[in-house]
Amino acid sequence: MAKTLTMRDTTDREKASWLTLKMREAMEAWLFISPTLAGFLIFFVGPLIAVAWYSLTEWNLLTQQATFVGLDNYEDALFRNPDFWHVVRNSVIFAVGLVPLNMALALSLALPLSGRFPGVVIFRTVFFAPVVTSAVAWAIVWKFLLQGEAGFINQILAQIGIDGPNWLREPNWAMAAVIVTRVIKMVGLNMILYIAALQAIPRDYEAAARLEGASGWQIFRWITWPLLGPTTLVIMVITTIGSFKVFDHIYQMTGGGPENGTLVLAFYIYQQGFQFFDVGYASALAMIMFVIVMILTLFQLVLRRRDT
Amino acid sequence: MSVSLTRRRIRLLNRACWTIALCVVAIPFVFPFLWMVSSGFKSAAEIFGSPSLVPREWQWRNFIDVFNYQPFARQYFNSLYIAVTVTTLTLLVSSLAGYALARMRFAGAALIALFLMSALMVPEEVTIIPNFFMMRWAGLVDTHWPLILLPTFGPQGIMATFLMRQYFLALPKELEDAGKMDGLSRLGVWWRIALPMSRPALAAVAIITFLNSWNLFLEPLIFVSSLQKFTLPLALSNFTDPYGMPLWHLQLAATSLAVVPILIVYLIAQRQIIESFALSGVKG
Amino acid sequence: MTSLSLSNIKKNFGKVEVIRGVDLSVDDGEFVVFVGPSGCGKSTLLRMISGLEDISSGVLRIGGRTVNETPPARRGVAMVFQSYALYPHLNVRDNMGFGLKVRKVPTEERARRINDAARTLKLEPLLDRYPRELSGGQRQRVAIGRAIVGDPEVFLFDEPLSNLDAELRVHMRSELASLHKRLGSTMIYVTHDQIEAMTLADKIVVLRDGLVEQVGTPRDLYERPGNLFVAQFIGSPKMNILPFGSVAKALPGSPGRASHVGMRPEDLTLTDPGSGLVSGRVLLSEYTGASSLLHVELPGGEVFLVAYDGPSIEPDTLLGLTIAPDRLHFFDSDGRRTQ
Repeated sequence: MAKTLTMRDTTDREKASWLTLKMREAMEAWLFISPTLAGFLIFFVGPLIAVAWYSLTEWNLLTQQATFVGLDNYEDALFRNPDFWHVVRNSVIFAVGLVPLNMALALSLALPLSGRFPGVVIFRTVFFAPVVTSAVAWAIVWKFLLQGEAGFINQILAQIGIDGPNWLREPNWAMAAVIVTRVIKMVGLNMILYIAALQAIPRDYEAAARLEGASGWQIFRWITWPLLGPTTLVIMVITTIGSFKVFDHIYQMTGGGPENGTLVLAFYIYQQGFQFFDVGYASALAMIMFVIVMILTLFQLVLRRRDT
Repeated sequence: MSVSLTRRRIRLLNRACWTIALCVVAIPFVFPFLWMVSSGFKSAAEIFGSPSLVPREWQWRNFIDVFNYQPFARQYFNSLYIAVTVTTLTLLVSSLAGYALARMRFAGAALIALFLMSALMVPEEVTIIPNFFMMRWAGLVDTHWPLILLPTFGPQGIMATFLMRQYFLALPKELEDAGKMDGLSRLGVWWRIALPMSRPALAAVAIITFLNSWNLFLEPLIFVSSLQKFTLPLALSNFTDPYGMPLWHLQLAATSLAVVPILIVYLIAQRQIIESFALSGVKG
Repeated sequence: MTSLSLSNIKKNFGKVEVIRGVDLSVDDGEFVVFVGPSGCGKSTLLRMISGLEDISSGVLRIGGRTVNETPPARRGVAMVFQSYALYPHLNVRDNMGFGLKVRKVPTEERARRINDAARTLKLEPLLDRYPRELSGGQRQRVAIGRAIVGDPEVFLFDEPLSNLDAELRVHMRSELASLHKRLGSTMIYVTHDQIEAMTLADKIVVLRDGLVEQVGTPRDLYERPGNLFVAQFIGSPKMNILPFGSVAKALPGSPGRASHVGMRPEDLTLTDPGSGLVSGRVLLSEYTGASSLLHVELPGGEVFLVAYDGPSIEPDTLLGLTIAPDRLHFFDSDGRRTQ
């Protein structure tokens, strides 16, 4: 039997080959991931560092030169420029209006639509349709519907004797209109996430609760709702972050107006950076937005970890 | 017997109530589409006239004027080819990276995953200013390159990477081992075994990426300035008279042209499309 | 002639050493079974031979070549997986021919080899079906067919029968045995099922915690287990073990170094209480048809298993147990066999 293989003559070669096998796998992996990684560094990490730097400078349009001004842009935003707090207020109102409305509607639609009955697919299709539609198109149509006197909505209201406001020309109504039309556009997404979560709940729970005499509301309150907890959390954070990103919808529907009544953070960044060319200030705003989003993301991660 | 009958009746009544309620809620979801198409057929004069869904006079001319007002066909094509390019690139790049993250052992894999994950949630607005200067420096402003590169490698592409990774992780590993035993290289295993088995994930990535590119607005607004290079959303917002007031009949006709084909595809493949969004939402 | 040899093979995942130095040589045409409890490293060892896991240190030779650094497909081995791993998007013919196609074997040659393998395994009527259209046993045969067409030097089986139901498993076991006889190739087979190991193997390798406990023929392992672990792992029901002290008086002339003594349930016979080697009280009698398995509690509290073939015995019956002296197994304080 060949138990006594001559090990000596192969040992050195083996050492080297052990490296090659592992290194080959690692090398291939790096090759596979390199396009993503390169793109990530060029289009995300680099710009993130750049925007942090820009935010500390004053950008001169004529000479195209940046001068270091320290935290001046941040001080501008936080203490000197009243627009900033107005914009923050608008963003918060937008989020506080949109998120609960969106989630409540999503869950109310998901509860009946997670079941099986004739027509359920049609309803799901209908409620989801705006999600696949471009925000610009959606905003164009709604802007049209919400025109002052001649708009369709106001004509209908007039028929039942209500004198509708000029929706998009009055700051408060404009904000309400943007929120509601945005909810209608995006609620389908959260609805299907809720439907998926509801369908993942084993039917046995409900059956067991029914046998114990629980009513429909009790089942929802004590079984379904707690089991939806993780989904609710994820939806809440995604929707909140999404609400800070909204740009196209507002750009098309109100252009941030009237009287800056719908000027939210994402729009403000665009306005300062690309309309007024105040690069330093816009960059500071971008950094503030980055920090807000990171806090929300971490908040979600912490809550999720605590859950598990 | 009678008890069970009453029960059934209650259930039916219950269901009828639900259905009616859902129908009422559905109005603001459906009506804008109908009104959009109907108004697209109305004349400039009639458009603010009677609130009738059926135009008094069908203005087919609107759909010709749309193409005369600006190079709408060209803009339509731009959107189409950009979306197809972004989708193809994203499928390729994200499935390669997703495969490496799911299946290959290399130092730093966990760190890279964490790194990439951190970018998932960050809005484009945060990095758009430096990206603009970079594109200008590279001479790519007023070209379609930014509209292809940024979505492919931005948060959307990273989301696709993680979606693919999740899917690859759930595939039976022994199949890939069998492929290796059969003599496939890593690239071969990826292309001939992992990818063919990942059709649902690839479809989800394709659908979401395509729609995202098709509907992209901020990037075209910032990077593209000549009419010939506009994409659809930009073109749609551009139907105004010399005073900046919207030319509603043309705008709505053009919007119908942009939205209806997508809606038709959506209606045909609604199950697949909705599932794709559910898949990406749950995983992301 | 040696077909495959392992010298001081080791494997670690990070700091954890899962294979801790294995030496083994396998002769041409031998059927070797790796057996051991889960987590013993048997599958890892097989995957290291196949090349799917890299080898941390040691030398692996197949057919005289050192293959540590050779990619799986060029080692001259073929593998049958636990889940069969048939490509769902290819039919049976293409599944079997896939490896040949990748290796650029000409079409006619490929078809010939597929047909030969299909004939051997009676797969001819199934060649155009897809895996999802096959039963478990048929999939199993296709997986074997895929291994055969490559004409490998060594076949590797990773728990190939564990997904089959009991009846089919027995059937496939005998098919595998006859296949081995027909092909005469070297086969390495991993299982946790010691019956499979006993019935199939020319040579069994018992592994525990990444080390080889014993290598030998099934008869060797059963009749002369090298240590307490093997003694208890091979054979069903398990061998009974007693501290040597409790029976030393009754066993004059037994090896003095022994610290444990082992008795197989099927070697024990019943006598009157008080006589025999040990006595005890019946706790439970499990009737299985062909025989009964008695659970007998000894005065020290140990429970002995006894295979018994006779009229039924009520619980609480007192009885004595005896055994032929040459059927006793002695182990020293390290658990190693003495004698």
